[in-house]
Amino acid sequence: MLLNNYLISAWRNIFKHKLFSAINIFGLAIGLAACILIALFVRDELSYDKFWSKADQIYRTHITFSVPGRDPMDMVMTPGPVIHALLKDFPQVEHASRLASQEPTIIINNHYFVDDISLVDEDFINIFDLEAVEGDLNTALKSLNNIVLTEKLAKKYFGSNNAIGKIITIDFDSYKRDYKVAAVIKDMAKNSQVITDALVAIDEPAWKEKDWMFDAWFSVNSHMFFTLKKGADIKSINNSWSEFIDRNFPKLPFGGTGAKTSDFVHMTSMSIKDLHLKAKGDGEYHEIGDMNTVIIFSTVAFLILIIAAINFMNLSTARASSRAKEVSLRKVLGASRKDLIIQFLGESILITAIGMIMAIVFVEFALPIYNEILGKTLRINYASADLIYVAALAIFVGLLGGSYPAFILSHFRPSETLKANKSAESDASIKLRSILVIVQFAVSITLFVSTAVVYGQMLYAKNMNLGYDKENILAVKEVYRDVVLKKLPLLVDEIRRMPNAISVTWSNFMPESGNNNNTLVRTEKQALEDASLIGSREIGFDYFKTYKVPLISGREYSIERGDREVLTDDLRKGLNYTGSIIVNESALRRLGLGTADNAIGKLVFISKGNPSENLEATYEIIGVVPDIHFDSLKSTIRPEIYDLSVNYGSVISARFSGSPVAFTEQVRKLWEQEIPSIPFNYDFISAAVAKQYNAEQGQAAMFAAFSCLAILVACLGLYGLASYTAERRTKEIGIRKVMGASVFDVVKLLIWQFSKPVLIANLIAWPISYFTMTLWLESFVYRIEDFFILGFCLLAAFTALIIAWSTVAGNSMRVARANPIKALRYE
Amino acid sequence: MLKLQDLTKAYRTDEVETVALNNVNIEIETGEFVAIMGPSGCGKSTLLNIIGMLDTPSSGHYFFKDEDVAGYSESQLGVIRKQHIGFIFQSFNLIDELTVAENIELALLYHDIPAAERKERVAAVMDKVGIAHRAKHMPSQLSGGQQQRVAVARAVVGNQSMILADEPTGNLDTAHGQEVMEMLQKLNEEGTTIVMVTHSPSHADYARRTINLLDGHVVTESMRSKI
Repeated sequence: MLLNNYLISAWRNIFKHKLFSAINIFGLAIGLAACILIALFVRDELSYDKFWSKADQIYRTHITFSVPGRDPMDMVMTPGPVIHALLKDFPQVEHASRLASQEPTIIINNHYFVDDISLVDEDFINIFDLEAVEGDLNTALKSLNNIVLTEKLAKKYFGSNNAIGKIITIDFDSYKRDYKVAAVIKDMAKNSQVITDALVAIDEPAWKEKDWMFDAWFSVNSHMFFTLKKGADIKSINNSWSEFIDRNFPKLPFGGTGAKTSDFVHMTSMSIKDLHLKAKGDGEYHEIGDMNTVIIFSTVAFLILIIAAINFMNLSTARASSRAKEVSLRKVLGASRKDLIIQFLGESILITAIGMIMAIVFVEFALPIYNEILGKTLRINYASADLIYVAALAIFVGLLGGSYPAFILSHFRPSETLKANKSAESDASIKLRSILVIVQFAVSITLFVSTAVVYGQMLYAKNMNLGYDKENILAVKEVYRDVVLKKLPLLVDEIRRMPNAISVTWSNFMPESGNNNNTLVRTEKQALEDASLIGSREIGFDYFKTYKVPLISGREYSIERGDREVLTDDLRKGLNYTGSIIVNESALRRLGLGTADNAIGKLVFISKGNPSENLEATYEIIGVVPDIHFDSLKSTIRPEIYDLSVNYGSVISARFSGSPVAFTEQVRKLWEQEIPSIPFNYDFISAAVAKQYNAEQGQAAMFAAFSCLAILVACLGLYGLASYTAERRTKEIGIRKVMGASVFDVVKLLIWQFSKPVLIANLIAWPISYFTMTLWLESFVYRIEDFFILGFCLLAAFTALIIAWSTVAGNSMRVARANPIKALRYE
Repeated sequence: MLKLQDLTKAYRTDEVETVALNNVNIEIETGEFVAIMGPSGCGKSTLLNIIGMLDTPSSGHYFFKDEDVAGYSESQLGVIRKQHIGFIFQSFNLIDELTVAENIELALLYHDIPAAERKERVAAVMDKVGIAHRAKHMPSQLSGGQQQRVAVARAVVGNQSMILADEPTGNLDTAHGQEVMEMLQKLNEEGTTIVMVTHSPSHADYARRTINLLDGHVVTESMRSKI
């Protein structure tokens, strides 16, 4: 019965104070919605690879090459031969498998496809629990001629027909083979770093021609997973990598006689549960997350929740005086303080519950866009514990925001509150409210500055001069395949002849795609032990002309000048001739070759083939280029050589004029005519560069959106508070007007009242923003100057004031213009 | 000092027109002490508000120092008001969050007076009404009589030539009421024009002239001969 009475009272109170209730509920709903959205993201990020039944036992090995004079190269891949040594050396290891993701040409009934096919060891199925839908998974990978498909691929290739027993021809370039579908498995979970669409067993002998795939100690091309036996400690393995490396890896040619391979090569293993958020290094097949992002967004969610709860507290306590009479009457009629606390807390929870329902509606509306930005498929699963979490969140916020008002309201003494002419509000609660407003704005301003810095850094990175002109270059991919390479000269020639083609070239890398090829280079004066490990890229004729890179000195490769590449096979045959080489400025410095002009014509020796072969080719420097950002701006520029490769490339780049679409269509026609077996795959260099920042852009957008929401919620609170305060100060304003204050004087007074907390909030927010954002910027090699943060701080202060003023101004004007007589006549 | 000519004030709601003042003609000389009396709802307060320029008449003329202010805008009235008119209310109307001194200073705040001079004038007027020892106190710490003395101080600190008092003793006991009336009398003797609305005939006796209002009309005007 009493509960009923409380509910009625709560319900009527909500309706009686429509403005307050609307602000309260709307603010809460926005805060809760933001919180839920972030929680969904964080939960997904934290869930990666935790679902495997052996998740606690599965590890992936990583390797770092630390070469003197170079930044360490962290790889999340492992050299192919390591697996055999691992199984031999560590009895703690139960199962181990490599995983190399390939994109071969797949031929089914004369139809061509290009899809992800993973090369794995037989043990793969013992590490990861895959669910077979059809066929026998246990025996499937025992045969080198079998393939396991996911349902997705089986459907793509064979529709609704049964895939088991069907034949698929796969052209891996090294070899071409007919595979029989032996099993179909369920599609793999998206929250994993181990996603694959099809599995075939690794056939090492078949890769003889490309032995670096699985048989080279200093080349990394596959991931390696292993499981520990039950009871074994990963430390026993992680502590003995150095010995493992010295025992199994070949010796490296640098460091002198006393040097061990483990001085330059480091290995470690990481639990599969940590891969998504903690793995650092090149060679991931799928986008990884970042622990910092998770922490940052969790913090933002918490802060938004705090702002919403503060609003709630502020508006409730502000209204306290108007409810004092109800409290007093209830007390007179026998209610205890506890009864009243329960009543007010219940009311808070009721309001929060309404807010929560609205929040869920907001979330459902926002999820499609949110998922698109993040590239995820997040959703609230109402049939699961999600509903309990959501309810718990509502109760938590209700209690958090309601406890203080409940305490204040229940404290009123009837004898005091029923007496007129006395403000029911204590100084303490007014002071607390100012502090809470300061906290809200400090948080909002910090978020604003952080967003500005994140965006500023992103814009800076996007617009930084890369050293080449990324506009108007079409990149034709898939060139590395044997069928295409055979026609490379023809393709280049034909494209060059197109009317809109300005310049055409080819290379073994795509800008911004990450390239970790390195080779040993020394000068005439240096011994082999003093050779430097220098990044190496292979390019065709007219490369720098196509990418519009002006040479500092010398010239680039041209057919007319008869530049030759040194073929490794010729070296093996003992043929010795001098090739031409182009280097960048960093390489000049590393090799100690003096100025660019002096370097032209000097000889350098470059290691070729496998390290064990000890092959060296002689080159003459014919050109020096500036340091160019062909890799992501997250890495520093390395010393590089640009080797001529007449017959090999993975990408053809064509600079064009006029319409990109028309040009692309022309090239597509040519491709489809010449290479019908492989789908035409292209990109624009400018788009590929932009793609580098997709994840950052998504997160920056998310960050900006949530910051705006936080500010909006804070403003709602300020608005509510301002209208309340204006009401509370009606008498004072009346007096001031009678004393001669103009409308302007009064507006000034009220606006100043709300400017003070905003200004104080700035003083708190600035150092926090400056400190955290300089820390954040440190992770970028190329970053905006620190003083930009100060600029953003000033901008934030200005914006916060403008927002606060415009929030408060309307109310202030209304109150300031009111006739003072009404305020003064009656008390 | 001021002259009301055929002054009418009507309040309009959707359907009904209520006439609060009807054809009022009053003249008040500089240095006069006038009491306005009448039953509740007779238009006393409306009259006082119009004289105090807090409200504007519907028709008629209001000459203040020979200037017809009847058609003036709110801000124009504000300028004249803050220069010439001080107010005293029944409910004191002090600002709870300000000290006694600050409350008094408020009347000078909206004039162009340097801070040092403001302080000096506030101190002088506090001394005059005998609340100097309470300067730093908040209104809630004072008795009703003391609060009204602060209000009087506030009304005269700007050297206003006229004080409008709306039942200044209504919320006070007899002794404190007496005190305030004596203070007003003293101010009047010093040259301040005083117009006071009151219910109390004995307090009206302090005035030299009493205007009786009934239903928006001036019924009688009586002069008290100077003793």
